[in-house]
Amino acid sequence: MGMLNKVEIVRKMCPVIFLLDTSGSMDGEPIGAVNEAIKNVLPELISMNEENPDNEIRVAILTFDYNVKWAVGETELVSPQDVENYWKNLDANGYTSMGAAFKALNEKLSVSKGFMKRASGSVAPVLFLLSDGEPTDDYKAGLQELQKNSWYKIAVRVAVGYGDFNEHILREFTGNEGTVLRTSDPDSLRNTIKFVAVTSSRVASQGSNVSTDTTNANPDDNTQAVADALENQGGALNAPLDPEDNF
Amino acid sequence: MFVPLKKNQRVELADGRTVTVTDKLGEGGQGIVYRVRFDDSGEERALKWFFIGYLKEPLKFYRHLEDNIKKGSPSAAFIWPEQLTKYVAGEPFGYIMKIFPKGYESFSKYLLARVQFQNAAAMVNAALNMVAAFKALHLKGYNYQDLNDGNFSIEPKSGKVFICDNDNVVGYGQKSGILGKARYMAPEVVRGDKQPDTDTDRYSLAVILFMLLVGDHPLEGKKTNYPALTNKYDLRIFGTEPLFIFDEKDSSNAPHPQIHQNALTMWKIFPSFVQKAFQQSFSQESLLNGKNRLLENEWFNILARLKSSIVRCPHCGEEMFLESDKISVCQSCKKSVKAVGYLKFPKRANREVTVPIFKGALLYDYHINSASEDFDTEVAVVLEKPGKFGLKNDSKIKWLITAPGGKTFARQAGETQILVADCKIDFGKNTAQVIVNN
Ligand SMILES: Nc1ncnc2c1ncn2[C@@H]1O[C@H](COP(=O)(O)OP(=O)(O)OP(=O)(O)O)[C@@H](O)[C@H]1O
Ligand SMILES: [Zn+2]
Repeated sequence: MGMLNKVEIVRKMCPVIFLLDTSGSMDGEPIGAVNEAIKNVLPELISMNEENPDNEIRVAILTFDYNVKWAVGETELVSPQDVENYWKNLDANGYTSMGAAFKALNEKLSVSKGFMKRASGSVAPVLFLLSDGEPTDDYKAGLQELQKNSWYKIAVRVAVGYGDFNEHILREFTGNEGTVLRTSDPDSLRNTIKFVAVTSSRVASQGSNVSTDTTNANPDDNTQAVADALENQGGALNAPLDPEDNF
Repeated sequence: MFVPLKKNQRVELADGRTVTVTDKLGEGGQGIVYRVRFDDSGEERALKWFFIGYLKEPLKFYRHLEDNIKKGSPSAAFIWPEQLTKYVAGEPFGYIMKIFPKGYESFSKYLLARVQFQNAAAMVNAALNMVAAFKALHLKGYNYQDLNDGNFSIEPKSGKVFICDNDNVVGYGQKSGILGKARYMAPEVVRGDKQPDTDTDRYSLAVILFMLLVGDHPLEGKKTNYPALTNKYDLRIFGTEPLFIFDEKDSSNAPHPQIHQNALTMWKIFPSFVQKAFQQSFSQESLLNGKNRLLENEWFNILARLKSSIVRCPHCGEEMFLESDKISVCQSCKKSVKAVGYLKFPKRANREVTVPIFKGALLYDYHINSASEDFDTEVAVVLEKPGKFGLKNDSKIKWLITAPGGKTFARQAGETQILVADCKIDFGKNTAQVIVNN
């Protein structure tokens, strides 16, 4: 190895984990918007990885309907490039097994038994929850288990509610009102998912500049950092949809 | 509230001229950067548009930028704010600056091994250019505050550097309110003992130089390899218990054999005077007490010496850094190489200035003029013929040579002087002596 052929600098992992409601009520336009949104988020995550020498984003996607399934990340977290390369659109049908989804996530949020293993370590993960209705199982038991997980505690927790979603549960999941966004038409669903996923991934992977006059009393409260970002950059959501002038 | 700009939107500048948005160039934590065009002249600029929600006192920040524009750029290496947009209370604002020229790549791309320097000289030039820029910044009474890897763009073939994101640069004694990114912040800032200033900039600069040359972080070794990186660990690794991975006395945080590949291979490539400079920069004295940090001037002379130590290995032909007075091991073929001797110049900033007498070694204007900081203009080259070495005068000036016996004679531009033990060369504005290794 010559002196100029260095290998990639050691980076920590920044897991970005999606929990997506694919129950029957999402069928049609909404699931189409979700698929579009994820396809739009991936290139943004890829370019963040190409510019960030500190942390590398890796992705997992859990879908929950009557089944709970890792659409991406069954064995390990995947690079956004690979997610893009092997992408298959998600379908929607069946019930809303949210409690089972929380349990499945809890199992994976572990270094020894789950997918949080990385030789150089991990920074706080992003946990993104999308839901459009009431859980049909015991969500509470699952969430309580998850809330004891130390990765959950430091995670950036964000949620998007669509249509008849249960606001209360999403707030319980994020623990922060500022990171729950809501919408009820498919076009804005696509934009909201993208905005929330991209903003939270950026904050989690790049870290914010530490500032002296921070309002954030607890420095490990990464969810609050994202709440601030969503608020301060919220204008992006109101941008027009026409791709011609929206870049 | 923050509202992003749209394509074709017109924005008024403080002086009444207007620019039109044509494209988006990038986005960071503090704002979005657009490509814009002057409506009158058609010239292009970048416009940084701030997420004003983050600004506690937007007007104060606006005035701060106005101040920096008035005081002016420290050197041509800085992409300095040129003009602000018109201030309207409660609305977002921004400033225009030059667009990065083509052919420049972000420093991150080098760290991620997506881009490579063309040769060793370009890599060392990049380090020298960074140091020169920070020297100019500090001389002008500014300090940078949040220096990190995201601030540099570098040309792979020349090592020329541009410094961007200069929004938080402040004058002496002022505070921007920004502390920086933990990995690049001085330990005393991480610990909360101190706010950023010139001294803490110097620490951050040493981190950047280490990452540029060695390719890993100076404080991340086997001891700091925690599975979850929370603020608690950041504080420990970068603040309260920092330990250099090549600390002279304590090897408990040495590079991890499976993880820190660059550190393990690249460190050995550098001559002892560079290793010592890093060991001083990241000594416990520096990390815990903020002492013994290298001034830009010291770095400058160390790196200039590094540049003149670049030669080709006689065994394998790869570039290597050659020590002046000891054996160096070529890290490409693992064979030993030693110079017959070296040219010794008067010290600068109390640092040794030497050039090995070895085929292809170069002298720059820096060497023949003790006031020059030009490390780019080649003025002499070491030539080799069987059994002897010569120094070819590629400068425009006449050299005066004093032989060991005391006889003097001149060497014109284009002529070559045979180098013998103890002969002295007077370059007009500097001198050197030939020292032979035993
Ligand atoms: N002068 C310029 N010319 C071209 N592109 C630019 C210019 N300035 C910034 N950019 C682009 O915009 C991006 C964001 O810019 P910048 O780093 O200044 O933002 P920031 O919000 O201060 O980021 P950070 O989160 O690092 O503080 C850069 O990564 C770069 O791609
Ligand atoms: Zn060799």
